[in-house]
Amino acid sequence: MLNQNKFVVSHAPFWHNGSSVTERTYHTILAALPAVFFGIIQYGWPAISVVSLSVSTAILWELLLNRFTKRPATIGDGNAALLGLIFGMMIPAAAPWWAVLTGTFITVVIGKQIFGGIGGNVFHPVLVALAILKVSWGDFFDHDIALVNFDLNFAGIHPLSALKYYGVAAIDRFTITGLLLGQQAGGIGATFGLGLLLGGIYLMLRGFIRWEIALTFLAGVFVTASIFNLADASRFAGPVFHIVTGYTLIGAFFLATEDSSSPVNFLPMLIYGFGGGIMTVLIRNIGVYPDGVIFAILVMNLVHPLLDKIRPKALGKEV
Amino acid sequence: MVSKQQLQIVYGITIALLVIGVIAYAAAPVSAPDQPIRIMFKNVGGNVLFDHKTHTHDSGYGISCLDCHHTSEEGETQPELCGDCHESSSDDEDMPNRTDAFHIMCKNCHADLEVVTAPVDCSGCHFTAN
Repeated sequence: MLNQNKFVVSHAPFWHNGSSVTERTYHTILAALPAVFFGIIQYGWPAISVVSLSVSTAILWELLLNRFTKRPATIGDGNAALLGLIFGMMIPAAAPWWAVLTGTFITVVIGKQIFGGIGGNVFHPVLVALAILKVSWGDFFDHDIALVNFDLNFAGIHPLSALKYYGVAAIDRFTITGLLLGQQAGGIGATFGLGLLLGGIYLMLRGFIRWEIALTFLAGVFVTASIFNLADASRFAGPVFHIVTGYTLIGAFFLATEDSSSPVNFLPMLIYGFGGGIMTVLIRNIGVYPDGVIFAILVMNLVHPLLDKIRPKALGKEV
Repeated sequence: MVSKQQLQIVYGITIALLVIGVIAYAAAPVSAPDQPIRIMFKNVGGNVLFDHKTHTHDSGYGISCLDCHHTSEEGETQPELCGDCHESSSDDEDMPNRTDAFHIMCKNCHADLEVVTAPVDCSGCHFTAN
């Protein structure tokens, strides 16, 4: 009884510790920068074009909406810039300017502002945009098609396309270390696994994202991919391959953990993250799309209010 | 709450990135190089991602241009494209349509090579979900 944990609150006056939405978004941007810079080194000026236009137009759409709805400018909190950056990280360097402009419009206006702005969105705004754009103009966001004119010093085929269309034998050309170091076709800032991993660890340690979601997402991918692999190794790739390819790492650390579209309680967070990981591998292994992260997280976004019904018992309430 | 100074910094960054983005898009557009690197052949049987550079470059298979662009002449830098003669549909018995031309060219060459990495079955080239 003496060792019982208690929530001790000191008496007033209280002092704000300085943490804010602004601080959180800028640290998240900081954590994403290693992966972005790697993409810029890899793809050159086209990557600079896409990322610069994506960030700036996301901010401008938000400012325009602020003016249109006669609300104070919210661009200072950095959230629009962060959404623009993540959108730019996930699309190929060859994305045309109008696709970036449309993408950031959907992200900021349809994905976020329509729901009332920051904190009100049901789905991750970037995923809403990517899902709509992939369905509407799939070829522009298909990494195999979009990157045909880039001379890469590794296999030009997206590793998950190689797996989906040519089977496990076709992924022998990829090494886990190479994939982790960004030797794979993909989004500008979504391929440098090591950078995303370091950024994610930083965000978890600083408490800007919930480790419960990020780690259970990866655990979900690992466990499900292991089951498939153990069931038939000749058809399904191993778990580590699934973790270091496609959108898995950016999904675990920068997408699934978005606070407005993810649960807040402990158990729901574990279910949400793990469920996202399971869905990802299910879509990859038995679905139509080579990568399943976008739709997996969107589905989990959809069920997150239900998951949050699992609450701790209220204090003092009789059962 | 965001201060006026922070807001001004965001305005500055936005304008700077917009200018960089527009200039970079205008100055460095993504265009197809003279010699293709990879070509995606879109078709109903499942897309085919053809690695042109690996087939032609000395560090790859080092195949001569003439082996595929058979109407070209030695030393020609801009060979005729496949689609210039082989149309998508053709009734001409002497001129196979594009699909047949690709199948004849790719499969015959791959079959002659008799190596595992040169597929001859449909799913070895076409994107068909396993």
